[in-house]
Amino acid sequence: MDEVDLKYDFFEKAHAGKILRCIQCGTCSASCPLTDQMDHAPRELFALIRDGDIITALRSNTLWYCVSCYYCIVRCPQEIPVTDLIYSLKQMAVQRGLSPAYHKLPDMYHSFTQVVARYGRIHEPLLMARYALRHPMDALGSIPLAMRMLKKGRLDFFPSRLSQPDRVSRLLAEVKRQEKE
Amino acid sequence: MKYGFYSGCSYGSAAGYSESVDAVSRALGIELVEISDWNCCGATAFFSVNEFKALALAARNFALAQAHGLKEIVTICNACYTTFRKANQILTDNPKKLSRINAVLAQEGLSIEGSIAVRHYLDVLYNDLPADVWARKRPNNLKDYTVAGYYGCQLTRPWGDIDVPEHPMILERFIERLGFNFVEHSATTLCCGAFHAVSYAKECRPLISRIIREVHLKGADMVAAVCPLCQFNLDAGQQMFGLHPVPVPFFTQLAGIALGMKPADLGLKKLLVPLRGV
Repeated sequence: MDEVDLKYDFFEKAHAGKILRCIQCGTCSASCPLTDQMDHAPRELFALIRDGDIITALRSNTLWYCVSCYYCIVRCPQEIPVTDLIYSLKQMAVQRGLSPAYHKLPDMYHSFTQVVARYGRIHEPLLMARYALRHPMDALGSIPLAMRMLKKGRLDFFPSRLSQPDRVSRLLAEVKRQEKE
Repeated sequence: MKYGFYSGCSYGSAAGYSESVDAVSRALGIELVEISDWNCCGATAFFSVNEFKALALAARNFALAQAHGLKEIVTICNACYTTFRKANQILTDNPKKLSRINAVLAQEGLSIEGSIAVRHYLDVLYNDLPADVWARKRPNNLKDYTVAGYYGCQLTRPWGDIDVPEHPMILERFIERLGFNFVEHSATTLCCGAFHAVSYAKECRPLISRIIREVHLKGADMVAAVCPLCQFNLDAGQQMFGLHPVPVPFFTQLAGIALGMKPADLGLKKLLVPLRGV
């Protein structure tokens, strides 16, 4: 893997030069709701990248534990858009197949994007059915709750659809086509 | 008053959100025009994997709204709200990205022009209506109920313009305006675990119990939610984790109660932790 390419993508395309302003105060890590699950909390993640080790950062589970609560952004004294930069790292990790195989969120997002590509909208039972192919225990665990929702009249068996359901799949296919140009 | 309305994917299964939004809008003469043929906003999932696709999904909704002459999009979900604002900001700041997106939308004969205003329904009810509309048919026992507000994350953060990011009061002011008693607490803008609560329930348990315990300790009879996912995590999480039960109605259900509507018209039976007495 060419690290120079990765650094170019991050610093130039994603405008990540702002991390050079980081004073390593740790406010981001201390504000993060799932920091205790992360292998390299946000402060450390940026220290790694500044130290030249962008590959470790891209393989880090931190990217996938980020819940987008945006606390780090509003609290950073150096006005570094932490959450947005984590999004850029996630996109890079997915593109290059670096996201950690053991983490469930890349699978969840994959299932999510597939349901949207097919139906244009999210339908919770279909999303859970797809996700269950990879993580059956999570899906089984959600059945009692699904039954209660069903009883309350809150679950539809069929997804709500667009007038022409292939509109979104064609839109996304067009994105893919133009991306290659 | 007429607004473009983006209901989003979770609206239908949310506990009485659509019933109460409809009932309240009708009673107050707010016309919510659904963006026809809308698609998923893209949420956190698409921005996590591919920015171009994320922008295209959001932009298609903007283009549909503009094609119908709608200048504002009102959402009822924090995630749709922030996803749309983020996409709108990226497209407004980057003419190159905007033209790439328009090239993609062109295959459906759509395009976007300029920026689109994205708003949350709470902002509409609080800022666009006179304060006295809530007093007309108000039951006189509302002061007996203490409501804790819960904003979650993506309404005030990262924007900080509807209200300050960390200690907002718009929801409390709204609750007060409806005629309920409100209580301040330290968990109003903490994270509920969002989408991670499905895959990492055990890890998200402390987040949900922190919020429920706090509102319980502060003596709240209920928590007012402004987002379908927050509402779901707080409502369903209580039984899942054996917490002290506190009902979590939507702010629009409380608004309906203040307008003298019946619980059945507001979908209150759909809450998992029942709201009794009101």
